Amino acid sequence: MHPINKSSPSQFVAVASIASELSAVMEVAKEISLAAANAKAIAFRAGEKARGFQPITDFINELAKETIELINDFNGHALTFYKLTVSEHRIGDAYKRLELSSKLAQGAQYSHSLQASLDSSKIKMQDCRRQFKGHVMKLLDQLETVMHPARAARVIAANSRIEASQAGEYLQSLQAVAESVDNAAQVIHDNVQRCRSLLSVVVTV
Amino acid sequence: MKMTKIYEGAYQWIMFGRDESKPDSIIDSNQYMVRTANRCLIMDPGGVELFAPMLAAVMHHAPVEQITDLFASHQDPDIVSSLGLWDQAVPHAKLHAPALWEGFIRHFGCNSIEYVGIPDNGGTIKLENAELQLIPAHYLHSSANFHVYDPQAKILMSGDVGAALEGPGAPMFVDKFDAHMEKMRYFHQRWMPSNQAKRIWIERVRMLDIEILAPQHGRMFKGDNVKRFLDWFEALQVGIAV
Repeated sequence: MHPINKSSPSQFVAVASIASELSAVMEVAKEISLAAANAKAIAFRAGEKARGFQPITDFINELAKETIELINDFNGHALTFYKLTVSEHRIGDAYKRLELSSKLAQGAQYSHSLQASLDSSKIKMQDCRRQFKGHVMKLLDQLETVMHPARAARVIAANSRIEASQAGEYLQSLQAVAESVDNAAQVIHDNVQRCRSLLSVVVTV
Repeated sequence: MKMTKIYEGAYQWIMFGRDESKPDSIIDSNQYMVRTANRCLIMDPGGVELFAPMLAAVMHHAPVEQITDLFASHQDPDIVSSLGLWDQAVPHAKLHAPALWEGFIRHFGCNSIEYVGIPDNGGTIKLENAELQLIPAHYLHSSANFHVYDPQAKILMSGDVGAALEGPGAPMFVDKFDAHMEKMRYFHQRWMPSNQAKRIWIERVRMLDIEILAPQHGRMFKGDNVKRFLDWFEALQVGIAV
């Protein structure tokens, strides 16, 4: 029999993995926000020596906030995505079993009456698959948006290192801030990339 | 799936069971259907694995649009885990099931079928010229549990009460009661938790005129074997695991 029901256990695992990767991104974004607050305090203490660093801390904070907002928004869509996965699985399973039932009922007096249920569930299944694919495309776009602040954070980290080099005795503290922003941005980038790969997998399953 | 007509009058009762295609690892179950002129009630429609052969078997008796009512005695998976599939096949139908279990049973999938919650004191299902009584059987074994009594056909669909775990080739009716007792003993002692609930149920059921007692697993009881079963069950201590 042709496997019409495309949703598979690996699809459920992929959807759960995406949620887990995004939850990690959220944590990292919160860490960036904390690093920004820390940097602001250091820059304030450093006064003139870290004048160039002060606006950077605001940027870092904004980027963290933006990432958190994007992930929050994304999580709402991820929930819909999960529901669609469940619906697709259920309707696909129902179709498969109705089809089997129809075969088993061959020769039965009322077997023809199953055709309407079979047709209706096939339409629902195809509709569900269409919605599912559309949603995956939307999520891929959103993930691209999440990448923007992560890329910007890496540029800011590079600028921070330059500014830190002029901060005298605060050099080490500010360099540590720049380092932590850079690392966090890298983690976000890697996690989001993994989400994109997972989404690509589920849409081709 | 074997089909046995157990009542033929102004309407019919049909028993479905002994499904040869079911995986060995799942328990065999009996499904019952009341068929009136234009409507059907399927009682304890079964688990997911049973859905396709069960629906195919029903097609020998009625078209799918005439399956208007389902009944679940309680929430167990062998009773009604196929609900999400029936929901696709008969979206116009009603499910009569314990009100207490609604939020749980809906986990099986119930988007289109209307859930008609049965209150603790029972109720009725009117199916054209058949009027079926929903008899409380709480704690036998589920905390909200109902049996279906048909005063016209004199049949009591008794859910897990009277059940026995047997092989797929078991006969439909109990022939030698004494030999059958051992097949039921552990099931009732272990799955039925309350002697008090058992006693109250027996008092209630003894007031009914029953020709066939039809459990969800194993063989049905007919005639004098119904009384023998009630006497045996009355004497049995249940809830043995504590």
